Amino acid sequence: MSALLDDVTAVIRTVFGDDEITLTPTTSADEVDGWDSLMHLNVIIALEKRFKVRFSTAEISELKEEGKNIGSLLDVIAAKQGSAP
Amino acid sequence: MLGSLWLKRAFITLGGAAFLWVQSPELIHVVTLALFVLSGYGVALLLARRPSTGLLAAYIIALTAAFVILKRYEFLNLVGGDTFLAHALDLIGLSFIFFRQIHYVVDVKQGEIKQLPLWGYLNYQLNPFTLLAGPIQRYQRFHEDWQTLTPKPADAHELRMTYLRILIGVVKVAFIADFCFWFATTPPEAAGALGQRLILFYFFPLYVYFNFAGYCDIVIAAASLFGIRVPENFDRPYLARNMIDFWTRWHRTLSFWIRDYVFTPLYMAIARVKPQWSGNLAFVCYFVALFLAGVWHGATWNFVVFGVLNGAGVAAAKLWENIIVARAGRKGLRTYLANKPIRWLAAFATIHFVCVTQVFLRPGSEDNVVAAWRALLDLVARVGGG
Repeated sequence: MSALLDDVTAVIRTVFGDDEITLTPTTSADEVDGWDSLMHLNVIIALEKRFKVRFSTAEISELKEEGKNIGSLLDVIAAKQGSAP
Repeated sequence: MLGSLWLKRAFITLGGAAFLWVQSPELIHVVTLALFVLSGYGVALLLARRPSTGLLAAYIIALTAAFVILKRYEFLNLVGGDTFLAHALDLIGLSFIFFRQIHYVVDVKQGEIKQLPLWGYLNYQLNPFTLLAGPIQRYQRFHEDWQTLTPKPADAHELRMTYLRILIGVVKVAFIADFCFWFATTPPEAAGALGQRLILFYFFPLYVYFNFAGYCDIVIAAASLFGIRVPENFDRPYLARNMIDFWTRWHRTLSFWIRDYVFTPLYMAIARVKPQWSGNLAFVCYFVALFLAGVWHGATWNFVVFGVLNGAGVAAAKLWENIIVARAGRKGLRTYLANKPIRWLAAFATIHFVCVTQVFLRPGSEDNVVAAWRALLDLVARVGGG
């Protein structure tokens, strides 16, 4: 899980152009400066490219909902990769 | 309050059927509506078996064409004269059925909806709580609730608050909205010509808000008594600081639908193929999404203006944010957003922009919520009057 978290953090740092972003499974999108609806899609596109997966419309939408966080994102990616988080 | 699960289900089904019967008593209406709704179910069954992007795209195009013709959008004049407009079909709740149906087939195709019971689907589409004017809920959540229909208020206090919310909704609709409408349309002569226009300018938007927000209070609270969670539709919209903020507070479920099924696929299609274009084309996507949301509100030309203004307002809000970030960085944007006087000035400007857009929502042009209320009153009159 922590290797996946590191990979996801690297992708998100590239998307935001900010090497100081630090993420934990409990970090929510609201806590990352500039993570709005458009940035959310940029993050999703970059993650799809990096992990060679596709997110569904419902997943993209739900990952931005209240109560969802980086942990939720890691779970979805791990499930798509076919391994337990 | 009610007995078994089946009794509750029957009650909800009959409620939906009663609305449809009152509004669409003719056989041609029933058949057209059945074809419209069942086509979604049929295509969903095919998509569940074989998730074909081509089939999904073809179906959405065909469904949209059918919707535009059934709603008699005036721009059809440009492509076919009166050919497409010469019918008398008025189907209740069609706009919201259309949204739910697209969500349903897309999510089935993407594997997000796996169980496809016909009865559940029909009740999702036609239940009386959301049939007439939304809010638009996801099928997955409805399906979950439909299995048990356990009333949502957990204790006596929550139950009292739920009944109170229904009462507040009735007050908003029957008194506040009614007063705003009356005052906006029959202002005192002493106000003078300019004063009368100003009253109309400010009070018509208040009428729209209290009418729709009150309606949502009633259906959200009533549905929760029957164990159905209907999402919130308003979050103090007149405090919005710009048009993007406004649409996350006003008719939220419509905004989220537009975001998920118009903005997201449009933007992602561009960004996946031409990432270097995505930054600039994001403005176009914002415009297109909100333009369509605006146009959806009604079939006449004034709604096209409403759509253009909203599309432009949202694109301008995003552009303004980008300008601030380019000049002062994200830290500068934070300082800007935290500035109280700017916050209130922005809210003041946004309210006025919204009032300008709503000039194009005025009486004489049919609105979904007004149509929904007419349907409800019609049903009450028929039941009460026999």
